[in-house]
Amino acid sequence: MEFPEGLRYSREHEWARLSGERVRVGITSYAQDTLGDIVFVMLPKLGEEVTAGQPLGEVESTKSVSDVFAPVSGAIVARNETVEGSPELINSDPYGDGWLVEIQINDPSALDDLLDARGYADHVAAQP
Amino acid sequence: MQLSPLHEQHVSAGARLVGFGGWQMPLQFTGIVAEHLAVRAAAGLFDVSHLGKVRVRGPGAAEFVNACLTNDLARIGPGRAQYTLCCTDGGGVVDDLIAYLRSDDEVFLVPNAANAGDVARRLQAAAPPGLAVVDEHRDHAVLAVQGPRSPGVLAAAGLPSGFGYMSFVDAMWRGRPVTVCRSGYTGEHGYEVLPRWEDAASMWDALLAAGAPAGLVPCGLGARDTLRTEMGYPLHGQDLSVSVTPVQAGLGWAVGWDKERFWGRAALRAEKSAGPARRLWGLRAGDRAVPRPHMGVRTTSAGPAGSAAHEATGETVGEVTSGTFSPTLRAGIGLALLAATIGAGADVTVDVRGRPAAMTVVRPPFVPRSPR
Repeated sequence: MEFPEGLRYSREHEWARLSGERVRVGITSYAQDTLGDIVFVMLPKLGEEVTAGQPLGEVESTKSVSDVFAPVSGAIVARNETVEGSPELINSDPYGDGWLVEIQINDPSALDDLLDARGYADHVAAQP
Repeated sequence: MQLSPLHEQHVSAGARLVGFGGWQMPLQFTGIVAEHLAVRAAAGLFDVSHLGKVRVRGPGAAEFVNACLTNDLARIGPGRAQYTLCCTDGGGVVDDLIAYLRSDDEVFLVPNAANAGDVARRLQAAAPPGLAVVDEHRDHAVLAVQGPRSPGVLAAAGLPSGFGYMSFVDAMWRGRPVTVCRSGYTGEHGYEVLPRWEDAASMWDALLAAGAPAGLVPCGLGARDTLRTEMGYPLHGQDLSVSVTPVQAGLGWAVGWDKERFWGRAALRAEKSAGPARRLWGLRAGDRAVPRPHMGVRTTSAGPAGSAAHEATGETVGEVTSGTFSPTLRAGIGLALLAATIGAGADVTVDVRGRPAAMTVVRPPFVPRSPR
């Protein structure tokens, strides 16, 4: 299972990629594999304020539904509308075309609380 | 947790395993949607060896079983199988099962894994002297080959195929005994193959190899569940239980109403004539929502969508018992026990994790059945 270097990871299995003042967010390869075939995704509206650690949306698979938690706090400035129509992209390309939203942040240190790739790999290895 | 005779095969194939009815079984091999679509378009191979096997043998075995279970064995002859129910005296469903009528003196039953022991004990307790009720759970495996290309897959593997729906034949395969029945739980043309437990692995490998050119893939219980839900087939433990009767579940066709004896007869006849207080219906989601078990179902209030009147809470009329995403329809579908006031075509609201989702009450199947 792949956890790219250069991304930051939440313990709830989201990834975050900083570019400028925006953080692009998706769910990890481990999360999509555990969920199985993803059939619906619910994303927040543009402009909505989200809070780190709080749900920002949902991904639903044939088997179950799971909250997506905001890895950082801020305003939603982009949402991946393609993935709403083709949620299977989250399974096939979780770090690329399967991204979910972009969050505007004021302070890049907001990512410091997240895990790096090695830390996240250890976290996944410790899952039951 | 008990293991299938194919456990090694599943582990080496990388299957994701799940506990079900006390057994560790494959949930999926590659993915539920791909496996589901393969069964609808080509063929799939399922390990359902967790299913129970109970043999009733001795003088008058068929007559005895007929006086216990709901369906009427007099409707079929030897060599045919029948869907039937084991009920309590109150009419609740202890289990739904398949009865293979082998002769007047032998009936082979295939109950659900979790209920096999209960069914066997109830029959043992009621059996007259001279009749043996034997739990053969680990003597036989069950391999289901399902899908439009299943007859060719069986033929290529050297197994009999092509006989009538709900018929079974005994055969020899590589010098070993096997029973093949034209049955299944997917709504497709299909077969359930019962080799001896110790022959299951070689038969699994042979069926996979013989079926690969036809597009046969191994399938898990995840696809089995989405396939049966599209057909509106009930699952015991969700849509059926001791607190649900065959009359409520729309299974009156599996009851021999004219029989003089079967468990639950008086209660079921009374409920049938009075009319059930609730019935099992299909639900089809209109928007991007998936009904899941135990979600509440309400009547939809009057008023245009988005208005205050529309948002007002309707009256609770029942509960979702099964629900999933239909890979064929690409929409949420489910089964729900609903008050008798609700019928096909009714618009209802399902509470999907605090959000009201509009759904329509429909009569299953959701996808045309073609098991014959």
